[in-house]
Amino acid sequence: MGARACSLLPALALPLAQYVRGSVLRLALALTFTLFTLPLLPACGKPKGFGGGEPPLVTFNVMFSGDLAPLRPPDVTEESSLQVALVWGQQWLQEPFCILPPESDAAAAVIAAGCRDPLGFVPARVDVSVPITIGATAELPLLYLPTPDLLVGDITGRVGYASLVVYDDRDSSGTLELSLPRQAPFGAEGRRGADVAPADQTADAVDIIYGASFVTMTEPDERIAYLEGVFDMTSAFYPRLGCDPPGKGFSILGAGGFDLTTAFVASAAGELPPENDPASCTMAAPKEAVVSIAARARAEIAEIDCEERRADGSVRYHEPPASAPDLTHRQSACVHLPLFDTGGTGDTAGTQSTLIQLVVSGLPGDRCKGLTHYTLRGCRQDVICTVPDWDITATPPAWWPCPI
Amino acid sequence: MLVSGLSAWDDVAVKAGVPWLLVVLYSTAVGATEAPLPSLPSPQGQGQLQAQPQPVDELWKVRTGGRLTLDLGLVLGLPATWQTGLSAGVGGGFMYGRTFTWGVRASWSTSTESSIAWKVTHQDIRLRAAAAVQHSLGRGAFALRLGLGPTFIYEDRVRNQGARAGLTGSDLETSSLATVPAAELEAVIAVHVGGPWLFILSGGPSLLVSDGIVHGGWTTQLGAGWQP
Repeated sequence: MGARACSLLPALALPLAQYVRGSVLRLALALTFTLFTLPLLPACGKPKGFGGGEPPLVTFNVMFSGDLAPLRPPDVTEESSLQVALVWGQQWLQEPFCILPPESDAAAAVIAAGCRDPLGFVPARVDVSVPITIGATAELPLLYLPTPDLLVGDITGRVGYASLVVYDDRDSSGTLELSLPRQAPFGAEGRRGADVAPADQTADAVDIIYGASFVTMTEPDERIAYLEGVFDMTSAFYPRLGCDPPGKGFSILGAGGFDLTTAFVASAAGELPPENDPASCTMAAPKEAVVSIAARARAEIAEIDCEERRADGSVRYHEPPASAPDLTHRQSACVHLPLFDTGGTGDTAGTQSTLIQLVVSGLPGDRCKGLTHYTLRGCRQDVICTVPDWDITATPPAWWPCPI
Repeated sequence: MLVSGLSAWDDVAVKAGVPWLLVVLYSTAVGATEAPLPSLPSPQGQGQLQAQPQPVDELWKVRTGGRLTLDLGLVLGLPATWQTGLSAGVGGGFMYGRTFTWGVRASWSTSTESSIAWKVTHQDIRLRAAAAVQHSLGRGAFALRLGLGPTFIYEDRVRNQGARAGLTGSDLETSSLATVPAAELEAVIAVHVGGPWLFILSGGPSLLVSDGIVHGGWTTQLGAGWQP
């Protein structure tokens, strides 16, 4: 509108120009008129520059439903600040001990107490949070794209997935804090000094999770997808075999899920597990869909806010402490090192290690499931190293419960 | 070898090792173009002097006296309505007169700046009615020029990361045209190089009013002039 008005101004000078003799003077008159009247018109617009705020790149609509009263912890009577957060997922592999058949009943108990769902959603980073009300639709604007470390793929295409998590912001931080599995204390591992507590032992987050759109691949989910380039149909990053690939940019995907047995069989065959019900696959643009989240018990969604120290399935073995750790409320088992970790080349390849490890689960009150692995010999980086950082096989601690 | 555009005095000075730029400035300041060469001692006598090469003034005669001056050059300045960045482009115009001159000038320059959310490109088109007072001195002329007129600001805003996020249309990119009144006060130095050609340097402060706010700035131009 402003630009159009500006462009018409020279024409306004033409009626005046007819009273002037000489083409040069007419041109001069039109030019002068234009020069000095243009800036006086407010219709000629104004530059916005860097103003006008920061519009979101995409906005998601979220609906939360359910009764929270029976889901609250005993010491909580009301919500402090109910929020919904967008949480980007991590590419994560379960450690071998948790997915190989257990050696004993004790090992099975440790797995049950200390291993998280191998097909569950593992958070990598918490993005934006906004307040949400039960029964009302909340708008969740996203101002920035996920960083490349959150995307999985190569230069031709990469994808990231996120779960929408409803939580009570008990610490009023405005965002969802994630927790880490806690470890039992361990020995000095070749360093000077006595037993040490794990350096990255942090307090559990106090926020309470009440629901999530994407909890695990073994049940139906609605997830946020962000795709750049061409989607790799063979990608095993939270796969949805049988579903249409996500569209470029942001989209909301739905999947029916698959069971753990199907996943194991497919993985053994080098394939992706098929969805139990391909008809349950959905895909929608963010502005056309409302992501529905139902309130759930903490036990069903306990791991949605638990980070993992390692994403590649590797295990950090520790020297057992000199003084006995308190195993009263923990599950523990003496087991061989998993075949994956025995390593070796040539004649030793694939042979079972003679080294016995003690695996200890976390405490029942820990927010996140986790394991602590002890061996009498090993290195901080590699349990089967040639020159160990510690070797107390000749002088094991008095409390060591496993065969030597 | 004579240095192009210099007088015989200048040529001697250059041969004596004086930097060329200093010679030009000195020559411009004192108007040394008409000074005769002193008689140089020579065993061949006075007659041999007339056989010497033609003075540079003869090779690069400066033709002055025209009332009209056209110029074109590189424009650098502070982007309109911004207080940061550098707007670069081209500009030119004509001036008519001797001591008091008037004319019309125009320039186009562009600059791009970014914030976290936006990449903004401004194309500034300046139209000016200009008046100047000037004084000729030797090969050169010094002038103080005042320009008044509108500045058209064509603004293009692109949402950073918008294309990757799948934004299209006005969600991704917007453009607008604004017109603001503006003025510049420039000091102008013009040096006759040879024939009708001049080397012109100008620069000075500028003002514009946008949304009721006065923005200060600066502008400069480096280019060539033609005075028939």
